[in-house]
Amino acid sequence: MTFLDLQTRGLIQKRMNTFLGYFILILVTILISIPIVALLLGSLKQDPDLVAYPIRILPSRWMWSNYIQVFQMTPFLKVAARTFFLAFTCSTIVTFISGLVGFAFARYRVPGSAPLFSIIIGMLIVPGIVTLIPQFLVYARLKLTGTYWPWYLGALMGSPYFIFLFRQFFLTFPRELEEAAEVDGCGPFRIFTQIFLPNAKPVIAVVMFFAFLGIWGDYLTPLIYLNDNNTLLGVKMATGFKNPQGITLTTISLAANVYYVLPMVIVFAIAQRYILKGVITSGLKG
Amino acid sequence: MFGKLSRRDMLKITALSAAGAALAGCQPGGTPKIEEQPTQAAPKKAEGKVVVMHFRHEFTEDQMNAFMAENPGITLEFVDGTDLTRFYAMYAAGTPPDLVRVQAPSIPQFLARKLLFDLTPYFQSSTVLKLDDLMPANDYYKAESPLKVGTGKIYGMVKDFSPDLTLFAYKPAFEEAGITLDDTKSYSYAEVAEMAKKVMKFEGDRILFFGFGNESGWIDRYWMVSLAELGQSLYSEGYEKIILSENEETRKILKFYFDLAKDKINYSPINPSPGGWMGTDFTAGQLGFIQYGFWFSAMAESDNTRGKVMMLPAPNWSGKRKDPTITATGMIMTAATQVPDAAWKTFEYYNGGQPALDRAKSGWGVPGLKSMLNLIPQETEFQKQANKVLQGELTLNDTPLQFNPFLGETQVPNAFNKYLEIALKGDITFDEMLKSIEDEVNAAIKDGISAIMG
Amino acid sequence: MTRFSSGFHSQFIRPSLLSRRQRRILSFYLFVSPWLIGFIALQVIPLVLAILTSLTNYDGLNFENLKFIGLENYARALRDPDVKFSFGRTIAWLFANLPTWMILSFALALILNQNIKGRGLFRTLYYLPSIVPGAAAIISWKIILDKNNGLLNGLISLWRPGTAIGWLSDYALAGMTAIAVWTGLGAGMVIFLAGLQGIPDELVEAAKIDGAKGWQIFRYITLPLMTPVIFFQLIMGLIGSFSQLNLPLLLVNVGLTGSGAVPSREIYLYMIHAYYQIFTSRRYGYGTALLWILFVAVIILTAIIFWSSRYWVYSEQPDEGEKQ
Repeated sequence: MTFLDLQTRGLIQKRMNTFLGYFILILVTILISIPIVALLLGSLKQDPDLVAYPIRILPSRWMWSNYIQVFQMTPFLKVAARTFFLAFTCSTIVTFISGLVGFAFARYRVPGSAPLFSIIIGMLIVPGIVTLIPQFLVYARLKLTGTYWPWYLGALMGSPYFIFLFRQFFLTFPRELEEAAEVDGCGPFRIFTQIFLPNAKPVIAVVMFFAFLGIWGDYLTPLIYLNDNNTLLGVKMATGFKNPQGITLTTISLAANVYYVLPMVIVFAIAQRYILKGVITSGLKG
Repeated sequence: MFGKLSRRDMLKITALSAAGAALAGCQPGGTPKIEEQPTQAAPKKAEGKVVVMHFRHEFTEDQMNAFMAENPGITLEFVDGTDLTRFYAMYAAGTPPDLVRVQAPSIPQFLARKLLFDLTPYFQSSTVLKLDDLMPANDYYKAESPLKVGTGKIYGMVKDFSPDLTLFAYKPAFEEAGITLDDTKSYSYAEVAEMAKKVMKFEGDRILFFGFGNESGWIDRYWMVSLAELGQSLYSEGYEKIILSENEETRKILKFYFDLAKDKINYSPINPSPGGWMGTDFTAGQLGFIQYGFWFSAMAESDNTRGKVMMLPAPNWSGKRKDPTITATGMIMTAATQVPDAAWKTFEYYNGGQPALDRAKSGWGVPGLKSMLNLIPQETEFQKQANKVLQGELTLNDTPLQFNPFLGETQVPNAFNKYLEIALKGDITFDEMLKSIEDEVNAAIKDGISAIMG
Repeated sequence: MTRFSSGFHSQFIRPSLLSRRQRRILSFYLFVSPWLIGFIALQVIPLVLAILTSLTNYDGLNFENLKFIGLENYARALRDPDVKFSFGRTIAWLFANLPTWMILSFALALILNQNIKGRGLFRTLYYLPSIVPGAAAIISWKIILDKNNGLLNGLISLWRPGTAIGWLSDYALAGMTAIAVWTGLGAGMVIFLAGLQGIPDELVEAAKIDGAKGWQIFRYITLPLMTPVIFFQLIMGLIGSFSQLNLPLLLVNVGLTGSGAVPSREIYLYMIHAYYQIFTSRRYGYGTALLWILFVAVIILTAIIFWSSRYWVYSEQPDEGEKQ
C-alpha cells in the first residue's frame, strides 16, 4: 500500500465521517423539531382544531389574534418584567455563592467536609413536597411570605445542585495551579476568583442559565408564597388563560408559551457561546 | 433506658419539643377554632384587609377595583387558584383566606372540621341577599350538621349554577343514524347508551366519532343522583361505609357505567379524549352526547357546531326525574376570619352586586337569586331552545346531594378510574373491581373519621 | 501575575500564627458558610417538621385532632400493595429513561463539541425542548401521540389503516419516556458539553501526534476525564427519575374538574402514589412517610454509586488518606 492510498483513504474516511455526522444532526433536528412545530402551529389554531379528526396539520383559520389575546387576558408584560428582574438578580447571586462553596468542597479535604457534602447530596434527594409547607411555616414566622425574600435568601445560600456541579467541575483542575498560586502568595479567595472562576466560564454560563430558568419557569414557589398583586410569570402561565367557566383556552396558552420561551432562547443562544474551549492551561503560565 | 441520656437523645428531645411547639404555636392565638360567633353587637364598621381565594377569571381585577373604590376602608388581596397546598399552608400558618371559592362537597367536610363561618345573621339583615330570594341550589350551603345538608344555618352561597345532568347532542350524527331527538322527553340512561352506540364510528381500532361523554370527576355524583331517584344512598346510614356490591341497585348502576367504558361508548383510561377534554371533542363535532349543565350552552356552538346543537333534559335511571346541580360553585367565609364584616361586604358585592348581574346576563349559568332569573339571555334560536329545557329542569326543585364529610371529593372517582383500568384490561373481574373500590374508599373514610372526630 | 499579592489576605495568612492545615480548615468553613448558615437557619426546622409530620395523622386541616402515631405510617406502607406496585413502576421507568437520556445527550454533546458550522444554532435548537414548559410540551406530544387523532398513529394508519396505539394510555411508559428524553436532552447535552470543554487541547493534540485514532482518544482521554461529569449526571438522573411527579400528572386525561382520573397503571409511579395519598385520600402524614421511605431508598442507591466512584471517577484530589 502506498502512502498515497493511505492518505486518500484518510480523506474519504474523514469526508464520510463528516457526512455521517451531518446526517445524524439533520435527522436528530427533524425528530426534535416535530413537537416544537406542532406547538407553534397549535398556537395559531382554535381549540377544537388542535387534535382534530381528520388530522389537520395547518390551522383552518390562522388565529394570529391568539398572540394578542395573551396580553388582553393577563398583565403579561408587567409580570414578565418582574419575573425577569428577580430571576436575573437571584441567578447571579446563586451562581457566585454556589461556585464558592463548590470550590471549597472540591479543593479542600478537611475534617467535616465529607459529612457536609453528604448533607448537600441528601438535600438533593429530599422530595420537595415534603418541605413545602414546613418551609412556608418558617417564612410565615419570619413574616416573609408574600415577599420575594424566600428567593433572595435561597440565592444567598447557594443551591445544592449547582454546588455539586461546580464541585465536579473544579475537581478536574490540576493541583499544580493551586500550588503555583500559593507559592506566588495568593490567598484562597484570590485563587478562587482569579484562577478557578475565570477558567470555569462554561460552567458559569450553564449554572447562570439554569438558575435563571429555574426561577423563570417555577410556578410552585410563587403559587405558595405570593398573592396576585406580585406574583410571577410561572403562575400566570398555569392559571391565566381560562375562559369564565374555568376552561383552559389551550391554543391561547400555547401562544403565551411562545412568548414565555422566547427570552430564554435568546439568553441561551448568547450563553452557549461561553461554552468554548477552556483556558485552563493559561493559568500555568506566568 | 434510664440513666444518662446521650447527647443525641438530648438533641432529639429538644428538637421534638421545639418542633412540636412550632407546629402548635405557630398560629397567632392557637389553632383556628370557632367557639362563638361575633355577635350583632360587634362594631358594624366594615374595614380591613380581606384575603380572597378564588379564580382570577371568575373574580376579575376590574371587579375588585370597582368594589374597593366604593368601599375605601376595605383592601382586597387576591390569591389566584384554590390550590390545596396553598390552603393547607395558609391554614397551618394561622392565616387562612377570609373568603374561599368552594363547591358543594366542601361544605360537609369543612363543617365537620369547624372551618365555616355562620352567615345566617348576615343574611337575615341583608338587603341585597335576602333569604327568600335564594334559589334552591343554595340549600347546598345550608346545614344543620355535616351529615344533614340542605336546611339549617347558612354558610355561603352559589355564584351561579346549572342543573348539571342535562345532555347536549350533536344533531347531524343522530340524523345520520336515523334518530330524531325530542327535547321534551327525558330518555332513560339505557336509551341514551343505545343511541350513543348507534352514532359511533370506527375505523379498525380507531374511533372516528365518539358516543357519549360525562365528567369522570363527577362519576360518583351521577350514581348518587340515580340512587336518589329511588331514595337510596351510596353510603351507609352514618356515612362510615360506601356500599357498592351489597346494594343491588348500586351494582346495576356501576355495571352500566362499566359496560359503557368496555364498549368504548364513554371515555375511560383506555379511551382517552383526543381534545384533552370532552368539551373540545364536542365543539370539534366529534362527540354525540355530552352530559353537562346549562352553562355549556354558552360555548357549545363553535364554528364547527353552530346550528347543529340541541339541549335535552337530563336522562333518568328509573323513570323518576331528578336534575340537581352537583357542583354548586360558590363562596364561603372561613371561621378564623378576623374581618367578618368587611368579608361579608365583599361577599354581598360578589354574589348580589354588579358581578352577579354580569354573570347572569352572560348566560354561563343560572343566577343564585330568583330576582335575577329574567336576565338569562334568550336571543339566538339555540339560546331559546336551551332556556326552554332549562326551565323544565328547574321545576324539578331538587333536594341537594349529601356528600360524605369524611372523604375528599375526588376519592371515589379516583378509586373508580384506577380499578376500572385494571378491570377493563381483564386483570380483575367486575365484582373484584367493586370490592377493591369499596376497600379503598372505606379505608379513606375510616381515616377521615379518625382525623375529624379524633 | 504579581510576585507578591498585596491584598489583605496576605496579612491574614501569617506563616507563624496558623499551620497550613489550620488555615485550610478555616478557609473551607469560611467559603462554605453561606450555605451552612442558610441550611441551619432555614432548612433544618422544615426538615424536622417534615419528619415529624410523617409520624402523625395530619391530613392538611385537622389541627384539632392531630395525633402522634409513631411509626404506624411506615408500618402501613409496608402493607400497602400500591407501594410495592408503584415502586416497581418507578424502577421500570428508571431503566427506560436514564440510560436512553444519558447516552443520547452524551452523544449529542460529542457531536456538537466538534467545530461544525452552525453548531451554536444546533445547540440552541436542541436545548429548546428543555425550555418549553412541561404543560406546553405535553400538549404538543398529545397532538403526536394521541390514540385516535394523533399524528403518529395517523402516519402508521397510512400503512396499516385503523391503527390506534395508546402511546399515552396502554403503552404509557413508552410515550412518557419519549417525552422525558425529548425534554431532558438539551439539559443533559449542555452539561456534557461544559465538561467536554474542560478537556485541555494539548492532551488531545499530543495524543494525535502519537498516532491515536478517534475512538482511542475518546476511550483513553475524553471518557476518563468526563467521569466526574458522568457521575454527576448519573446521580442527578437517578434522583430525577425517582422524583418524577409532573409528567404522569400532566398525562392524566384531564376533564373539567381535572381530578377524576389517575395516571395509567403503567406510569403509576411512586411519587404519584404519595401525591394521591396526600391530596386525594387526605393522608398527609402517610404521604410524607412514603416520601421519606423514597428518600431512604434513593440515599442507599446514591451511596452505592458514590462508593463505587472511587473505582471509576477521575479526580485531581488526593484520597482521604493522603496528608495535606
